[in-house]
Formats: sequence, C-alpha cells, structure tokens
Amino acid sequence: MTSKISIEELRDLFLSAPESDATRWIGIFLSLALVSVVLWLVSRRSLREELTPIWMGAALAFVVVSVEPRALFALTRAIGAWTPSSTLFFLGEFFLLVICLNYAVRISRAGDQIRCLAQEVALLRTELDQRTRPDTVSVERPGS
Amino acid sequence: MTGREPTKGTVILPAYNEADRLPDVLGGISSCNLGLEVVVIDDGSHDATAATARAHGATVISHPLNLGYGAALQTGYKYALRTQTGFLVQMDADGQHDPSQIPLLVEPLLRGECDLVIGSRFAEETGYKMGAFRSIGRRVMTGVAHLAGLQVTDPTSGFQAMNRSMLERYASGDFPADYPDVDVLIRAHWGGCKVLERSVEMSESLRASTLHGGTRSFYYAYRMILSLLGAAFARRSA
Repeated sequence: MTSKISIEELRDLFLSAPESDATRWIGIFLSLALVSVVLWLVSRRSLREELTPIWMGAALAFVVVSVEPRALFALTRAIGAWTPSSTLFFLGEFFLLVICLNYAVRISRAGDQIRCLAQEVALLRTELDQRTRPDTVSVERPGS
Repeated sequence: MTGREPTKGTVILPAYNEADRLPDVLGGISSCNLGLEVVVIDDGSHDATAATARAHGATVISHPLNLGYGAALQTGYKYALRTQTGFLVQMDADGQHDPSQIPLLVEPLLRGECDLVIGSRFAEETGYKMGAFRSIGRRVMTGVAHLAGLQVTDPTSGFQAMNRSMLERYASGDFPADYPDVDVLIRAHWGGCKVLERSVEMSESLRASTLHGGTRSFYYAYRMILSLLGAAFARRSA
C-alpha cells in the first residue's frame, strides 16, 4: 500500500524539519571567523576600513540567521524555495554579484585615476625637460 | 563654438613601438615646412621610439606605462592645451597619413567653419583598399553616425584636426583610453561641435595588427555600441 503526498505537503515537510544545533553553532563560528579575519586584515593594513562594512554586515546577518532562523524560514516560504539552505545560497550568490559589480566600479575609477596620474607624470617630465633646454617651447601649468 | 583661431598649431603622433617608422614620418612632416610643433606621445614603448623622436627634433612625452591609443591622444590634447597652440592635428605614427595634406584639414579650422575636421578616405574616390571585414565594420559605424545625425563617411579615421574648443572637450571629458572613434565623434556632435570632412589620400597601415583588426573587431563593435547607448542614455537624462 502506497500513500501519496502532494508537492505542497512535501515542501512543508522540508520546511518543518527541526533546526540542528550543530548547524547553528557552525554558522555562529563561521561568522565570528569572518569578523576575526576582517579585523586581522585591517590590523595588517591589507584591508582598508572603508571596505569593511559590507563584510561586517554579512557576518552580522549570518549570526542573526544562525541564532534566530525563523526569519530565514519565513523568507524561504516567501520566495517559494524549499529549504533554508537554498535561500542562503541564493542570497549568497546575489551578494557576491553585487560585491563583484562594486569592485568593478572601484577598479574602473582606480584605472581612470592611474591614467590621469600617468599622463600628468609624463607631461611634468616633458615640462622639466623643456625647462632644462631653454630653446624649446614653454608649457603653461593649468591655472597659471 | 566656432571662431577665429590663432595660427600656431601642434601635430601629435601617438606611438607605441614605432621606432622603425618614425624617422620617415617625422622627416615627412619636417619636409613640409608647416611650422608646427611636432609632439610624439610615446605610450610606454619597449623600443627606441622616444630617442628616435627626439633625435628627429620632436617634443616627446613618454608615458611611464602603456595606457592605450586613446589615452596617448588625450595626453597630446592636454599638452597642447598647456601651450598657446591654436589648433591640433593628430596623425598615426605608422606612416599611413600624408603630412602634406595637413593644410587641407587645418584650413576650415582657421576659417572658423568648424571645430573638428576629419581626413576621410571615402569622401571621394581615392582608391583606398580596406579588408572586407574592416570595410563592413566601417560601413556599420558610418551608418550609426548617420543615424545619430552626423554626416561623415570615415568615422574611424585617425587623421583629424581640431580647435581649442575640441581640445578642452576631449582633455577634460571621459575620453576613452582604448578606441576613441565614432562614439567620441557622435558625443561631440550631440554636444554642439561642428564636424567637417575633407578628402585625403592614405596609404594602408603597415602595422601587423590595427585597432580594428582581427578579434579586436568584435570587442571594438561591442565597445562602440555600449558607449553610444551610454551617450544616448545620458543625453536623454540631461
């Protein structure tokens, strides 16, 4: 004799699975590890303070989800996912995409700044050469 | 934006590893006796480009690293703005452009008829031969320029002359570091700059690879489309 179960019932079964204490403690441990790594990188001047809020925010969010998973379950139901872990993966991937875009913008800006600096270095070097050779044309500095 | 310009001018030649070809190019400019300051922008070359240019009497601006063709042009614009130059002519350093035709480009500027003059290979029949793939790309870019209201036949020509208004625009704006072509022209046109063309003869580029050749063509086309969409978006938002 076989019993049939609907898709919705199966999904409810997934979502009603008891939360494991081990998962919770692993989540808290990983969050604290992330905070520690960020602080260590800042102390070594390998990571600038202005870039830390997003990582601290991610660690805090992870702690909140680990300590109080009901928000994650509610979100899982709201977006139609089957398991809280799927929701976490989805949010994690989205977070990484946003991070990548943010860094692409920063790299573009840094590239423009490097270009301007390199051009200025080249122009100043030429100006210096011309000052040491008075027979050549003079170059005016901007605003002079 | 047009107006009477002082006559002193500057010729800029962006150069990357062009030590072999520069003597002929600089010699050609010198033999024309145009009275223009010749500036070679050495874009981080690994060969003797800078020394060769200096030896032939050119002013040399050396980038500390390779920044790209567009960035080299922009360095030339910035330099020219700091001098009292009235107009600027840009040429390729590979001998493709004939310096004896510089006056053709400069005359409309001096008469105050426009802000930018493009030396066109296709305004009249000059017998210039272009590879099939590049020819298709040029036709597409020309079509795009026409759609944008810019009536030019050779938007990818690097042989151009411009007045100080254009220099200020190009030196201060977000001038592309890699391929400044039809997108830059269209932005300038939309910004109120007057662009003219003059028919010139050009020899084919002797470079093994050009900015628009090979697989770069795909990236080039993509870059142009993206830049134009960005410009159109900015124009609509303004």
